[in-house]
Amino acid sequence: MECLLALSHAGKCYGTRAIFKDVSCAVPAGSITLLAGANGAGKSTLMRVMAGLSRLTAGTVSHHVEAAALGYLGHATFVYPTLSALENLAFWAKLYGLNANEHSLLPLLRRVELERFARERSGTFSRGMAQRLNLARVLLLQPRLLLLDEPATGLDVRSAALLRAEIAAAKERGAGIVWISHDVAGDAPLADSIFLLQDKKLAYAGSAAAFMQGGAVW
Amino acid sequence: MVAASWHIAAKDLRLCLVRGGGLVQALLLGLLLLFVFSLSQQVGETMSAQGAAAIFWLSSAFCQVLVFNMLYSLEEVNASRLGLLLMPAPVQAVWLGKGLAGLVLLLLAQLIFLPASVVFLGQHIGAAWPQALLMLFLVDVGMAALGSLLGALSQGQAARESLLSIVLFPLLVPLLLAGIRVGSAAFAAAMPEGAASWMGIAAAFDALFCGAGIVLFSFIYAGDD
Amino acid sequence: MASRYSLAFAVLGAVLMAACQWFIYVYAPVEAVMGLVQKIFYVHLPLSWWGLISFFVIFVYSLAYLKTRNPAHDRVCTAAAEVGVLLATLALVTGSLWARHSWGVWWTWDPRLTTTLIMWFVYAGYLVLRGMDLPASRKGVVCAVVGVAAFIDVPLVFLSARLWRSVHPAVFAAKGGGLDPAMLTTVLLCVASFGFIWAALLLTRIGQLAQQERLEALLRIDD
Repeated sequence: MECLLALSHAGKCYGTRAIFKDVSCAVPAGSITLLAGANGAGKSTLMRVMAGLSRLTAGTVSHHVEAAALGYLGHATFVYPTLSALENLAFWAKLYGLNANEHSLLPLLRRVELERFARERSGTFSRGMAQRLNLARVLLLQPRLLLLDEPATGLDVRSAALLRAEIAAAKERGAGIVWISHDVAGDAPLADSIFLLQDKKLAYAGSAAAFMQGGAVW
Repeated sequence: MVAASWHIAAKDLRLCLVRGGGLVQALLLGLLLLFVFSLSQQVGETMSAQGAAAIFWLSSAFCQVLVFNMLYSLEEVNASRLGLLLMPAPVQAVWLGKGLAGLVLLLLAQLIFLPASVVFLGQHIGAAWPQALLMLFLVDVGMAALGSLLGALSQGQAARESLLSIVLFPLLVPLLLAGIRVGSAAFAAAMPEGAASWMGIAAAFDALFCGAGIVLFSFIYAGDD
Repeated sequence: MASRYSLAFAVLGAVLMAACQWFIYVYAPVEAVMGLVQKIFYVHLPLSWWGLISFFVIFVYSLAYLKTRNPAHDRVCTAAAEVGVLLATLALVTGSLWARHSWGVWWTWDPRLTTTLIMWFVYAGYLVLRGMDLPASRKGVVCAVVGVAAFIDVPLVFLSARLWRSVHPAVFAAKGGGLDPAMLTTVLLCVASFGFIWAALLLTRIGQLAQQERLEALLRIDD
């Protein structure tokens, strides 16, 4: 299978404190990988490394997708509060050299159920709406590699379902997805494989079904 | 890269000028400085051209600190900085974009400060104004290049304004001296040493800190916390 | 290792500085115009030179830090900034005393003096930046960038200060030109002795910073 991202003996320290070390793994296309681990295990840091937002202190990370095909959806919504939903999307579209007219952007807002609020200042949006706008930004990029850092935080049940449907659709499209979920047990059925960060190492990397049968509950 | 910079600058100008009115604070501070310094003259007395030029540039420098703090704080609200770092263009595009936006805002502010210094500080524009205008632009370019580089250093920090001004002002000294000298010539003071050497210094500063911005910016504007 | 060197440098510096006192007050002639006050020069010049060298060290190690992210380079920068600001402060004070006696004012627009003052401001700000509560790696990078930007500014500050002076009365003639050979020997010895003291201070401080970081790492509660 085509490999989109590979880490080789990756290690990261802040000063003298090691976050993780000797992590080697690969993210194939057309798959969902859950990144699991306790609080403070370094999942978010590992994901920032995958996104190229954080430098490794050891080892290498190699991207086999160009920067424009990398989507990152985290807690932070990247929303400019004084711009409208449409203007926010248009700005990101322009930065990525994409078509930024209303015709192409409105359908995206419809997909995340924000079409009614397209011209509202996004500063007035609830956390869930802002995160859906963030989701629309990621969908706009049609990423080949999609990195999700607890994207469902603060979403209501309906929005969370919408998010999952989009994640599944992205996999169908052939994207490789790495997903930090706050509900591993609930989301594992969607996943193909699981990476478990434990004791600063990659303690498990393999099929999701086998992992869940092992009885580990997160 | 230039296209991305252009989009960033356009977005920033829109946020600062059309929405939120972020420039007002910087403008008011500059005007206030001009006015307060006008109190140093006795009634009927006019300030020396050099004094007036110094106050004009002081106002501009404070205005610049506020402008660049504002420009970089736009990305702090919802961590859009990470979004900019992910874009498929070199990160220097952010430096250039913010620098362009800052330059435009600074020029706009000076459009107000200049007549204000003429009015409050009792100056009149002399024959040397074309070279002073060129000088103004050269100095502003340098201020924008350095401001855009150092504006990023206070990311995620409280007390940004004071921090930025402490680091920025001493580094700006060559530019400010150049601006003050040529500016005072425009306010009809004699300048025996001629404007050319000052322009040389300002141009050298511009070149040096544009280079420094391009080389150093990627270190300072990063996703690492 | 570093502490052994710093001890050696400190001893050498102390002996040499004691010897310098003889050179300053006995060997070197009393200057005709300035009198005894001219002796300040033997302290002032080494102070300002080694201050400037400290800032150059910051520049070099900042570049090295940006390239390697080695925390040891960052510690050198911290130590050099502290020592540099200290020396620059003393250089300014001695320069001011000189100015008071020589030209009757505490401060004058001399390009060298002005450049030292501006550098003092820059690196004092740099130390403020150092003292801030930032994550260590971020602080290292931010300080390194300022360290590089500050040093490349030095020549421009000097040039602009010199150009500016041409509108003020030129208050003093070239200092180094007609220096008596005995004075030259003395001042070179002083520069050397201050160099050893400087190195001892720098190494001691680097060692302390390394120890401090080790302690903090040991004390941190790790989960």
